[in-house]
Amino acid sequence: MHPPGPPGNRHRAVDRRYVSSPALDAREERWARRLSLAGSLPAGGSLLTLTLRLPAALRLGGDFDGAARALFEALEAEARTSGSPVLSSEFKISADGPEGWLALGTGARAAKTLALGVEEDHPWGTLADIDATDARGQPLGREDLGLPPRTCLVCGGPAAVCAAGAAHGLPELRAAAETVLARPACTPGRIGRLALQALLEEAAVDPKPGLVTPRSRGSHADMDYFTFLAGAAALAPWFAEAADLGAGLAGFASTEDPGAQDLLDRLRAAGRRAEAAMFEATGGVNTHKGLVFSLGALCAAAGCLAARGFVPTAESCCDTAGALVRAAATADFTAASAKPEAELTAGERLYRSSGVLGVRGEAARGFPSALRIGLPRLRSGLAAGLSRNDALAEVLLALCAEVEDTCVLARGGPEGLEYLRAEAARALGLGGLSTSAGRAAVRNLDEGLIARHLSPGGCADLLAVTDFLERLG
Amino acid sequence: MKAKKEAMAGSLESSDVLVTIRPREGEGVECTIESIVLKQYGRRIRSVTEEVAAAAGLSGAAVRVQDRGALECTLRARLETAIERSTAGT
Repeated sequence: MHPPGPPGNRHRAVDRRYVSSPALDAREERWARRLSLAGSLPAGGSLLTLTLRLPAALRLGGDFDGAARALFEALEAEARTSGSPVLSSEFKISADGPEGWLALGTGARAAKTLALGVEEDHPWGTLADIDATDARGQPLGREDLGLPPRTCLVCGGPAAVCAAGAAHGLPELRAAAETVLARPACTPGRIGRLALQALLEEAAVDPKPGLVTPRSRGSHADMDYFTFLAGAAALAPWFAEAADLGAGLAGFASTEDPGAQDLLDRLRAAGRRAEAAMFEATGGVNTHKGLVFSLGALCAAAGCLAARGFVPTAESCCDTAGALVRAAATADFTAASAKPEAELTAGERLYRSSGVLGVRGEAARGFPSALRIGLPRLRSGLAAGLSRNDALAEVLLALCAEVEDTCVLARGGPEGLEYLRAEAARALGLGGLSTSAGRAAVRNLDEGLIARHLSPGGCADLLAVTDFLERLG
Repeated sequence: MKAKKEAMAGSLESSDVLVTIRPREGEGVECTIESIVLKQYGRRIRSVTEEVAAAAGLSGAAVRVQDRGALECTLRARLETAIERSTAGT
């Protein structure tokens, strides 16, 4: 709605200015077609219609037709990848601008989820408006999936309010749309830099009970902060390499494909070289072995998603990384059960004795601890105004309180783990880094862990993973 | 002009509005407004609806407005088309 203007001719009959607009007629026809197409779908089928979320003056200019086509192709590719039967597909330029039609054999809820994937994850997705209709002609919107309404391209407020009020002028909207189209691609180089940054930030966070910080060796006699910097520096090329190999995987429909298997072998070999470079740089100290594996998998996943035309999000990245490592992790654990006891890693020994999965299990399940514990805690901490250091320190406490840290379990047994979890939870309960009681509890925990020679290295790795995911999203 | 038959104009797409007019007993016009931006623009939508109905001389009608965030010019166009369709032949 426009704000009330000067009173017009209140006694006109029917104002033809408004009635005969080809764009309005085209939208009416599209609506009628949507209902009739939906009605002709088999039971359980659904219809997706894609249009541009831009005012008519920009939709009709032709400048965004190519973007609309690319978005529609991405939607159709997503449908096919997810195994939804594509019943019909059509893209055309109508009098209302570009529009895409995709009839699917899957239900409206699954179809809308696919649509949301494109709207949220595609670099240009924010320009698309993808509506889902079920076979009875009922629309299924974001609100039906419990999601908040979409936000405005220009100001980030509720989109419907800005659109109805014509809150933003054309030049402003055009500039916003062009910024979206110019969005930088998520390159292997950028992915690698974010991973390295996560390593450095994780090492820099202070306090970290039992762990190495710039001011403390924690429970470690054999390493300090500079050992961590040396390890991180040695790994600098590895993460971009993993992202690059992951990008190669985008060309294969399945990881079973021999070409994909070859790439996965190269990924494993590159990971072993990275590990060797780390040990050489640190004088044989293991600073980042777990992260070579888990951040490496996430970088490969991010590279793969980006190469498929998507902006990797925390969720999509974890999901894809989980799928990538599942086969490899299973193979590793099977191999571990055949190894002599002396050659086992701490994680393998634990898996053999108690079935605890550790870093490989976490990765294979798509990093649930980082996604469900770490990331929400980091986002809420930053939103509450904590410094990045303090927000990350609280993420570590939250992870320690809930995760089975295999490093602590291996050295301290169930009692050591229980001590860590209870004390980390207590420190958070006292207000974490924001209160003096919370900080005192963190100091006590640090001293207690040092006295017990315990170090929550598994949680520290998840802290770096959380940091990476937050920067990526 | 009395509403003679049920008629619709518009759609339930984003930034559009679906107007449905049904004949009803008597001379009055009864307006029902639904909108995703009711809080911000509900009063304006109602006053535009009543103004367009009055300007067209509409009578004996129930007007249902289902707004999905339409611009005012779109709302006016959809109302006028629906009125035209509902009263055609009078």
